[in-house]
Amino acid sequence: MSNSALYEIQNLKCRYDENFTLDIPSLTIERGKSYGFVGPNGSGKSTLLRIFAFLDEPDEGRVRFHQGDFSSERALAKKELSKSKAVTMLLQEPYLLKRSVFENIAYGLRVRGIRKHLRARVNESLGMVGLDPGMFSHRKWSELSGGEAQRVALAARLILKPMVLILDEPTASVDRLNAQLIKKIIKVVRKQYLTTLLIASHDLVWLHEVCDEILKMHEGRIMGSGEENFVTGPWFSELDGLWSTLLTDGQRIRALPPPGEELPLRKNAIALLDPTSIIITTERPDHISAQNILFGRLVHMYTFEHSERVKLDIQVSDMSLTCSITRKAASSLGLLPGLRVWVVFKASSLQWQ
Amino acid sequence: MDYIAEGFVTALKLLLRGDPETYSAVFTTLRVSSLSIIASLGMGIPLGFSLGYYSFPGKRQIRAVVDTLLALPTVVVGLFVYALITRRGPLGSLGLLFTIPGIAVAQTILVLPIVIALTATAVSHLDVRFKRTVLTLGAGRRRTAITALYESRYGVLAAGVAAYGRAIGEVGVSMMIGGNIKWHTRTITTAIALETGKGQFAMGIALGLVLLLLAFVINWVLQIMRRRA
Repeated sequence: MSNSALYEIQNLKCRYDENFTLDIPSLTIERGKSYGFVGPNGSGKSTLLRIFAFLDEPDEGRVRFHQGDFSSERALAKKELSKSKAVTMLLQEPYLLKRSVFENIAYGLRVRGIRKHLRARVNESLGMVGLDPGMFSHRKWSELSGGEAQRVALAARLILKPMVLILDEPTASVDRLNAQLIKKIIKVVRKQYLTTLLIASHDLVWLHEVCDEILKMHEGRIMGSGEENFVTGPWFSELDGLWSTLLTDGQRIRALPPPGEELPLRKNAIALLDPTSIIITTERPDHISAQNILFGRLVHMYTFEHSERVKLDIQVSDMSLTCSITRKAASSLGLLPGLRVWVVFKASSLQWQ
Repeated sequence: MDYIAEGFVTALKLLLRGDPETYSAVFTTLRVSSLSIIASLGMGIPLGFSLGYYSFPGKRQIRAVVDTLLALPTVVVGLFVYALITRRGPLGSLGLLFTIPGIAVAQTILVLPIVIALTATAVSHLDVRFKRTVLTLGAGRRRTAITALYESRYGVLAAGVAAYGRAIGEVGVSMMIGGNIKWHTRTITTAIALETGKGQFAMGIALGLVLLLLAFVINWVLQIMRRRA
């Protein structure tokens, strides 16, 4: 275990949603970094975050935290509790205790036996989330709007100056202004408290702005980091030996089969497609060796700070493909959202999971 | 019909003039019901909390028994306690029969299921996010349990109100265990029963109004407490 590793997961398995199992052979979370977890509903993001927060225990495997050990054989003993004090999580739908805003925010400090400068610290946390202490401190939990309640819940975590802050869909039920505010807060806690962040979200653009690393999840597994596209089955064998899957509009994606694998066993396998391995053209290319030439529509274009690349979301049939091209290429192609484009990639570009 | 209107006038007169017999019954009622409510809350809140908060084998069966005891008839409790504390009963030597503590013991048995059942309901109906929230804020097991009880305080308060209402208004236990002895164990309810038997409806109505007034004052105070909590 390197010095910078905060969590180290090995052979973790945890059942959730009755049908799915979180299955993570190996994952390291490094101290001070910010991680984003993306994936559809039911992909296991929340379960994984709850394991990180020591709320759920894995069925198998172990999670090493800091120096300690948190494994399936050992229940949450007293020793583990001190560990859980270093980690705090904001639930997807925050819950406030039935007491004043002040008491809600001070609760975590009281639990830790801290009585000093309570008011000053509560005020500071309220200020961080943009609420006026004079106006809100004495309000009851029932006298807040949804957005205010979420900010109070966040303030109750910030006051702890946590080593790890876990946020489950923090922007799911807030307006854009609040999403901006949370982004700002994340930057502040990383700088001031050197907090490690673990964030699950559907909002990829927002996530890219606050995270160092994005981990994609699908059906309980981490499917690589970054922007890879998932191509799901069912796969069919073609006469030339390639595998193919049909999109709803009749277009096909063709892939080089994984070596030595029988199709019946891997009918529902998932292939990853790197966004940088996709070529975009505005006219149908002829005489090209690539097996996949798909017709689609450019839906979104994004640019990021400190990056020379442009991210494109292209709707191909019912599938959304993420592509990454240089700014120069984007401008020479004259790309604009709404434009009809051709998406080209090799059969060998699909990587099997 | 005149005796009904007369009842209201008599009630006012009794209260304003400070009729000693009426006030004796009022104070006896307050003493008995206060004793029984303190005892039943003291036992019922921890028991009800455990029943609602923790999971253990047989929990549902115990819950069914407690819910059944909500329908416990006062005369059955009276009979049972009478049999225990009568001179020749197993607890006869304590000399509880026809005393205020005797009535309080029986009333405690009567209202204990109410406190347990309503407290358990309040605690078990806590939001599912509650436990996760306090755990993420660093609370240990004991702290979580204490916070859970505090979070369900309105439900526990309601349990107390319901139990007090039952204690203050019951007549079976007070009559059987207390014996309706004037200046000693006569409560408002036993006095009403007696006055009705004597055909003194006005007096009965007056006492009934006093009882309702008492209940109103107590609930009003609790209402203020609730708003502050």
